[in-house]
Amino acid sequence: METFLFYLCGGLMLGAAAMTVVSRSAVAAAVWLVFSFVCAAGIFALLAAPFLAILQILIYAGAIMVLFLFVIMMLQGPVLPAETARLVAWRKALLTLPAAAVAVILIGWAAQGREAAFGETPVTGTPAAVAELLLNRYLLAFELISIVLLVAIVGAVALGRRQEVQP
Amino acid sequence: MDLVLTTFLKMAFMLAVILGLVPVLIWAERKGSAYIQDRTGPNRAGIAGIRLAGLIHPIADVLKLLFKEDVRPAGVHRVMYALAPFLVFFIALLTYAVIPFGDYLEVGGRRIPLVVADLDVGILYVLAIASLGTYGIVMGGWASNNKYTFLGAVRSTSQMISYEISMGLALMGLLLVSESLRLTDVVAGQGQLLWGFLPRWGVVIQPLGAILFMTAAFAETNRNPFDLPEGESELVSGYHLEYSSMKFALFFMAEYTNLVVASALIATLYFGGWNIPWLPRAVIEARAGGLLSLLLAAHVAICALAAALFLRRASRERGRFGDGRDREPGLMAGVSILLGLAGLAALALRPWEIGPAGASLLATVLQVGAFVGKVVFFCWFFIWVRWTLPRFRYDQLMHLGWKVMLPLALANLVVTAVVVALV
Repeated sequence: METFLFYLCGGLMLGAAAMTVVSRSAVAAAVWLVFSFVCAAGIFALLAAPFLAILQILIYAGAIMVLFLFVIMMLQGPVLPAETARLVAWRKALLTLPAAAVAVILIGWAAQGREAAFGETPVTGTPAAVAELLLNRYLLAFELISIVLLVAIVGAVALGRRQEVQP
Repeated sequence: MDLVLTTFLKMAFMLAVILGLVPVLIWAERKGSAYIQDRTGPNRAGIAGIRLAGLIHPIADVLKLLFKEDVRPAGVHRVMYALAPFLVFFIALLTYAVIPFGDYLEVGGRRIPLVVADLDVGILYVLAIASLGTYGIVMGGWASNNKYTFLGAVRSTSQMISYEISMGLALMGLLLVSESLRLTDVVAGQGQLLWGFLPRWGVVIQPLGAILFMTAAFAETNRNPFDLPEGESELVSGYHLEYSSMKFALFFMAEYTNLVVASALIATLYFGGWNIPWLPRAVIEARAGGLLSLLLAAHVAICALAAALFLRRASRERGRFGDGRDREPGLMAGVSILLGLAGLAALALRPWEIGPAGASLLATVLQVGAFVGKVVFFCWFFIWVRWTLPRFRYDQLMHLGWKVMLPLALANLVVTAVVVALV
């Protein structure tokens, strides 16, 4: 049952990701991307990480992609003519496929012989386990990252407002 | 196999309650608005003169919507236009999976928890599904290729994103107190008494959080005073303007489904869920016989009263209409008498000698009844507010969301955290 669900989620996710790349309209691409995020959440849930699965939906599908879609729709995202779209898709595929293949091979090579070690540590993605890691063991790094993000937000706002300040 | 069966039965129960509530809510909305505006409301549709105070109207509506032509305007994005209403309705139904509607049901010595999926991350699941609710509206509004629908979709998105934050932060305060993300734990924690006499409900411990959550729930369901996405005066009817027939009906049903979801969440999180205040399960089971007899006696008394009132109306209004409508009071009196007789028959079976299995069943039924009663009350609360308050202006909406509710929610969270850390 779990294997079946894994292949179902994985297959749907890959299909949705492919549709994201080859879609002619930017809005359709964004909707396909949301669908692939939801499938990724399904895979997290199958890997006994419900917290990650929910965060994937809550943050990526529910917040970030809504804003993306919002902006694309406001700007009337481009709808490519069919032939150009196919060309662009092929170019994208030709560029990214070798890179992806290399990445997969590298990861596989690096992970060689470590499957046992990985399998022995019980990985749990419950809220309590995640909180234990984030708010106890890696508390300092966690807080520092939030400060970095805050600085980035302030910087983005400052850059965005610069033209208004100097008339 | 048992797990699959019970899960399907629980899903069927939830679905029946929700879909059964939708037409009743549409009726309550019409009658309630009429009552608040000093009108009579719908009372014309009837089957052979039986009108049931307008309750036949939802049936007439459904028939009308089913047989209407499904118009698809020119220039729509076909797939998304067709998908949007289904998506809205589907996502509206998803939230119910984690809402506990009772404690447990004892069947043959086994205890079946009355919740479809008791997730470890229940509250976050609710928030995640709520955040997905925007997609159907955005897709519908954009795919319709109409400026009004698009403006409605844009308003809905910005409104939902703005109020989601306050909603999440208000929930965090409750989370700190209940110390669990699991909704069954949250409800069970509300069954205790505070200082021996006050129910330990979320609204008692987190009054500000409860108000913030309820306000945000109004905004998330696009209900008045937050129904700018469908503001009739400026956007005709917003994101579902171009929809007709059953596609429009799905949007309409999704609105009421969302209303039931929001009511169920408010009841579960802040008003004790299935808990009956001052009447814990142990007490119900210990005094099941007396309680059941009392309930049956009350049922008989209410039926007798209803029968008397209907009979009086039947004799007063004899021949008033000169058609099938004259039969209605008499028929209702007959139904009341039959129900009362059924209650008397049940009393004759000596309910005060109920066994332990029956006592457990009674407790479960009463708790589920308490939950449904709370949900119905909050549904009525939504209707009540809709027909009492005027709609916000857009800048007022954003001001309330970002400059009033967000700081209040943050302050609530900080104060709660300090109190929890000290106590």
